[in-house]
Amino acid sequence: MLDYKLSGYHGIILSKADVGLDVGGPVASHVFISHAHADHLPRDRKMTVYASEATEALMRCRGFKGDVITRPFFEPLELPNCRVTLYPAGHILGSAMIYVETDTESVLYSGDYKSPPSPVSEGFSLPEQADYFITEATFPLPVYKWKPQDELFAEIRDFAKSALDEGATPVFLCYNLGKAQEVMHGLSPLGEKIQIHGAGFPLCEVYSKFGYDIGDYEKYNRETVKDRRILVCPSSSLEQPMIRNIRKKRIAYVSGWATHEARRSQLTIDKLVPLSDHIDFFELLEVCKKLSPKHVYITHTPNPDVVNHYLNELGISSSALNLEAVDNE
Amino acid sequence: MSDSGEHIIPNNSFFTFCETAQRISGARGTLWKRKIFREYITQLECDSDIALAARFIGEGAFSSVSGKRASVGHRTVAVTASEFCEIDYDLVFKPCRTALGSASEAIQKLMANLPVAVEKRSPEYPALDEIEQWYIALANARKRDDKTELLADFFRKLTPIEIKYFIRVMGQGSLRIGFEALSIINSLADAYDKDSEKVRYTHMITGSLEKTAVLCKQDKLDDASFRMFQPLSFMLASPIESSEVEDITRYIAEEKFDGMRCQLHADGEKIALFSRDLNEITQSFPDISSEFSEKNLNQCVLDGEICVYVDQKIQPFQLLQKRMGLKKPSKKILSTHPVVFIGYDVLYANGESQLEKTLTERRSQLKALSDHHRILISSQMHLTENDDVETLFNQALDNGNEGLVLKLKSSTYEYGQRKKSWLKVKKPGGSIDTIMMYAHAGSGKRGGTYSDFTLGVSVKDDPRYNETFIPIGKAYGGYTDDELKKLNREIKKLTVERFGPTLSLKPGIVVEIEFDDIQVNKRTKAGYTLRFPRFRAIRWDLSPDDTDSLKDVEALFEARLRRNAVRQNGEKSVLFPESSEAG
Repeated sequence: MLDYKLSGYHGIILSKADVGLDVGGPVASHVFISHAHADHLPRDRKMTVYASEATEALMRCRGFKGDVITRPFFEPLELPNCRVTLYPAGHILGSAMIYVETDTESVLYSGDYKSPPSPVSEGFSLPEQADYFITEATFPLPVYKWKPQDELFAEIRDFAKSALDEGATPVFLCYNLGKAQEVMHGLSPLGEKIQIHGAGFPLCEVYSKFGYDIGDYEKYNRETVKDRRILVCPSSSLEQPMIRNIRKKRIAYVSGWATHEARRSQLTIDKLVPLSDHIDFFELLEVCKKLSPKHVYITHTPNPDVVNHYLNELGISSSALNLEAVDNE
Repeated sequence: MSDSGEHIIPNNSFFTFCETAQRISGARGTLWKRKIFREYITQLECDSDIALAARFIGEGAFSSVSGKRASVGHRTVAVTASEFCEIDYDLVFKPCRTALGSASEAIQKLMANLPVAVEKRSPEYPALDEIEQWYIALANARKRDDKTELLADFFRKLTPIEIKYFIRVMGQGSLRIGFEALSIINSLADAYDKDSEKVRYTHMITGSLEKTAVLCKQDKLDDASFRMFQPLSFMLASPIESSEVEDITRYIAEEKFDGMRCQLHADGEKIALFSRDLNEITQSFPDISSEFSEKNLNQCVLDGEICVYVDQKIQPFQLLQKRMGLKKPSKKILSTHPVVFIGYDVLYANGESQLEKTLTERRSQLKALSDHHRILISSQMHLTENDDVETLFNQALDNGNEGLVLKLKSSTYEYGQRKKSWLKVKKPGGSIDTIMMYAHAGSGKRGGTYSDFTLGVSVKDDPRYNETFIPIGKAYGGYTDDELKKLNREIKKLTVERFGPTLSLKPGIVVEIEFDDIQVNKRTKAGYTLRFPRFRAIRWDLSPDDTDSLKDVEALFEARLRRNAVRQNGEKSVLFPESSEAG
């Protein structure tokens, strides 16, 4: 079995390789960060880490002060005890899966990932094989199967367009990093002006700098937001003046959790768009099949039992790696 | 959006009905919901389709007044769906249901997502009347295996969204789309350009949405008339906290009996009894029907309460429960648990409806009937000042009753609790210290926070259980906003598992809850359910070890059974025709 230790909030140390994955501090000689969502970033803001180029830029936006050694995708880095390669994870811009090879075994740590990938990410690809696969399973049940992204983007555009035509402000509730830019990318063909929550704005600039089309956007402005703008902001804004001050509005909630119809009444919204930046249950099984690992470790999940059951049926052994229950959507 | 493919789906298909229900569910605000239903129902031409659409949206597979049921249990549905989808019921289906908080929604998604299920289904887009036939077939099937077979066959012929609503309609409860009777009635009034008060009245006297819809369509609302042996919707009391009582002298008070609401129809020897949900319960209470049969009343309809009555004492509700489920009570239980009917209102008498008359007028009518035919009726107390409420309330408790109902003297008999003309004053039935086991994301204004909680009692020393704690009830309110915020912070630290809207918690938070009553319920793990559990206090000072045990709950239940019932001699809560005649 894999020789690992859990560390910090929910990081993992591969002891033999002397590598830390999404750990909170300098607990291994080499620490790799999969992507720039807060629950994967180190709490120690001054340590030295490895990350993709875009992840570095996003980490800086979010106040990381330490050294970041950027690594291109697909290019192995030789370390004393192992070799480490980043593979694009398709979750958000910069997101990487971390592939660690020692003399005896190979481990793929998924971080958060999505296949088919987000159109505003570097794509998604897997190494040929991995002996051990440490995978997230945020949506670990067969009730989760995503619709094609194009279909969801069309829904997003239709919703925005009909709201604007009624003279209402379309509001998209989504996470500031990743989902927001994905929604903006989907909206871009409309050619309408988009306003983004203040905390999301610098993150959008990183996307633009890296050449992704996320439409014609500006920072949220209380005065002009009513003048035929589309507003993109996190769901926490729902109770705040940002949304409350707009009298005529149509609100959409964009998240994998929008699969749950109960979300509608919980948030008092007009539309649920089940667009996730995580892999769905069925793709997760496909990825496991492709990698055909000796063992799968399931993390970041509300319940590993069902994935475990289906992997068993596929003849793949698996177990839960008990990290704290998390939810970063 | 729909998987209707190349088919042309007719308006009177069940599929169109389901898509309409789904759109209603998605619409924000009652006006939009009403508009969607109005547009839908006006496109139906045939009366029988209109009737079915109104029935399915608001009542269920069968009309509420029909007393018929498909009688397919939740578990049968879930197990059949699991087998159809070739998934393990315990291992896969249950977590899916927990995650979504809805079995029918889980089934809809599994039917759509799992390749084996998709392959088995070839949608036929049945019409509303075919669906009705399917429900009849299910109702007629006696054995569970037959029901299962039928159900699987229906799944084969439906799309996922139809399957979801087929199951929900079958449940005879709310469709959970935020569109309840009153909105449906208003929507019917909109659709056929009728006065909504008139439509409401029609619904009250027909007790049926489908009849109301058809009468609207045919422009025959005036034809709706009262008919004997067809139940009328009940007038309900609202909690007194929910309204301002301006002038107490405009009300009278009656004691609130710990029994079961009942509507009694009598015509000579013929008697029918109906429960609050408009089901006929005559067979369950032969003692009442034979008693009234002997009185040989002229046509009349009474509203009142059924209570177990032994030694001239009204017995606790728990004893009545033993009678409630029995379709044919044995001689033995009839003698150990005899019941009486205590009248408190009259809806029809002297060949005319009494609904539009004031309470005062109805009461004198009732009193006359009572005197003439020796019918037990509730005592009425006059109120002169606000303090009387407390005095009479305490007196009601001393008399072994639940509390008081205040009734506006000038009020007509209106079904539901729209005008709040009846107000109930009750005291909590008891309280226990419980452990918080699950937190559920709230809805409406509490959206985004965890505001509903499953609470448990300790069974750690109980040989009947392997667990440490088992659920005893779910509470929604009774805390302040600040307390809720603090709870939400603490809950985060205790979370061990998360499924979308539901968190599973480590034992840590002790909540003192109060409730109205304890009832035996064999279908729950604890064997008991609490009526109206709510927070009294969050006991930050207590630890999980201080939680009350199931044994404590059982002791409370026993104590309530032994509660002092008071002899009804003289005029306490009930007016005895004998004594009033003498006086």
